[in-house]
Amino acid sequence: MATTASARVSPRLTPFTLWVAGLAIAFLIGLFAMAQVILKGLQVTGLSNTVPWGLWITIDLSAIALGAGAFTFSAAVYLFRIHRLESFARPAVFVGFLGYTSAMLALAMDIGRPDRFYHPLIYWNVHSVLWEITWCVVLYSSVLFLEVFPVLAESRFFDRWPGMRRLAHQIHRLTPVLAVIGMGLSLLHQSSLGATYGVLSGRAIWFKPSLPIMFIISAVAGGMSLTLLSTIISSKLLHTELIKADIKREVARVIGYTTLAYLYIKLWDWAATSYYSHAPGTANALQRLQATTPYTTTFWGIEIILAGIVPAVILLYQPLRRNDRALMVALGLICFGVVVNRWNVTLSGLVAPPEWSPGVLGNVVAATYFPTLTEILVAVGIVSYWLLAFTLGVRYLSLYKSPKHS
Amino acid sequence: MTSNVPKEEEKEKEKGTPILTRSDFLKIGGATLGAAVLSELVISGPFSPEAIQGIGAEAHPHQGSAEHQWHMAIDLDRCIGCLYCVRACQAVNDVPDDEMRWNVVFPERLEDGTEFFMNRPCQHCQEAPCVRVCPVGATWVRPDGIVAMDYDRCIGCRYCQVACPYDVRRFNWKTSDQPNPYQPTWGVAEVPRRPRGVVEKCTFCVHRIDRGLEQGLKPGVDRAATPACVVACPVGARIFGDIRDPESPISKFLATKTTFRLREDWGTEPKVHYVRPTKKEA
Repeated sequence: MATTASARVSPRLTPFTLWVAGLAIAFLIGLFAMAQVILKGLQVTGLSNTVPWGLWITIDLSAIALGAGAFTFSAAVYLFRIHRLESFARPAVFVGFLGYTSAMLALAMDIGRPDRFYHPLIYWNVHSVLWEITWCVVLYSSVLFLEVFPVLAESRFFDRWPGMRRLAHQIHRLTPVLAVIGMGLSLLHQSSLGATYGVLSGRAIWFKPSLPIMFIISAVAGGMSLTLLSTIISSKLLHTELIKADIKREVARVIGYTTLAYLYIKLWDWAATSYYSHAPGTANALQRLQATTPYTTTFWGIEIILAGIVPAVILLYQPLRRNDRALMVALGLICFGVVVNRWNVTLSGLVAPPEWSPGVLGNVVAATYFPTLTEILVAVGIVSYWLLAFTLGVRYLSLYKSPKHS
Repeated sequence: MTSNVPKEEEKEKEKGTPILTRSDFLKIGGATLGAAVLSELVISGPFSPEAIQGIGAEAHPHQGSAEHQWHMAIDLDRCIGCLYCVRACQAVNDVPDDEMRWNVVFPERLEDGTEFFMNRPCQHCQEAPCVRVCPVGATWVRPDGIVAMDYDRCIGCRYCQVACPYDVRRFNWKTSDQPNPYQPTWGVAEVPRRPRGVVEKCTFCVHRIDRGLEQGLKPGVDRAATPACVVACPVGARIFGDIRDPESPISKFLATKTTFRLREDWGTEPKVHYVRPTKKEA
């Protein structure tokens, strides 16, 4: 469908056609890999009983975190009435919608019984953070759909259904209400995703109340970054100024401060759990990670310096912020940092499992995990879905028009 | 850090008013606080977990009775590492794949050099981390203390595996259709094999306990009502029974031996007790 649509618009081989065709091919390869997973089960992954979560959970967590721009900008525009940011509302909601649908795609692959995906809705365990997350993600995805639907309904495709367009117009009037609901749901599940690890009392390296806080702050920074970054890239490619320069830079500055706040909490998290104290399980697990994995390098080198301090400096130092290239690098680094962080958090607790044997030999010193080709291709499929949908959205939907109806 | 903010703003010579004015800030702060309070109400107010836990969650049948509390003791000083318990478990619970063993035994060494064989079935924690995290309530602590599994409800998210600090849970990565090499030598299948995509683990042979009690047998004493690993052990290194019954083998054993449980510092309250191995003269 995607290729025919682009072929109709530009029969010649333009860079756009090539890009869309390339993405469509990558997506089809991903679909093929997903079919393998459905047919053969999770034996096609590199996961094991010791490391049961890996690449797909990272994608799932990252996609949701990087979709947090939707609730942040919606709340800013419709709840706090910061009208200057209005031009961000639509792209943010669209980026969020793509993030949440990507996450659900990843989750559908990752659960052993996709045919029972609805079980959390009918069998309740209210003590499980994952149950709460499932409900929030389902409800919030519906909110995002309702927020995106008016944008979709404006497209030429809906010319033949004026009724749908009228319905979309009615839904659009609910946007402020949806923004409030969306913020409530996001405040719950964005942090609960950190709590997924933070509540596991038997796993010292994760067990801390700072994880939910760090997850939501990094999600807000990452979500705003991805929204702004995709907008700047679209502006460059379309040779039009989609967002006013001063608004762009002010948002960049807010992201810079959010990143600083994140770094501050992260500093204290590290100091309290690893430097000023000696929690036996944590120290032991970190030692094993240090000995067998590049965790220390990826934590300090990528998470803290490359994806934290560097972008914070760029975003908060005016001459650098005014340089679009530096700005794009900073925003890209923050998004990359969110992904690396979600990978590190997930894998650190699993690769160095807790020691339970009274002896000195029997415990797994460090487990290994490397995603298989099928696993990677599924990931490629999910990412190309995101890119393809975003590309087509920028091309065919009026994402960057003011949502006012004349 | 906050004192830098005004300076930073002075330097800011870009057009337009700042994104966050003071009233914006108050509004955002107030609304965030409001949302947080509202969330808390949902979490612990009239919509508290206890109030709504029952909704949708149908009761599990054959729950077992709180009159009994099933515990196991493993005497590491006696275990000779023959793996009879491992094979009996694999035969009775129909676990053909050695990677999927519910009950593992492996050579170990204490810090002082004492060689022994570590045994590890499911610890059947009273405060089981796996039970708490399951989003669909497919695993739960029965009133008699056994951590049970509902394979028909499990969605295979594997959060329980991530939560379990004792590595007792096994996920069915593939359809298990190979013949079981331990049958019939070590026993016959007493429970159906689990489908692909769900998590399984040691059940303390709950099917034997429930059926045995119906027949008036005493689990821990009568072989047909006792977990297969306990029955198979040739040296009596595994003891099982009801700790609410002072005459049960487990009560007598725990009364006379010094035992410990694995990682009590995690607060999981396991129901498997261990006797520390001692150095053997060669």
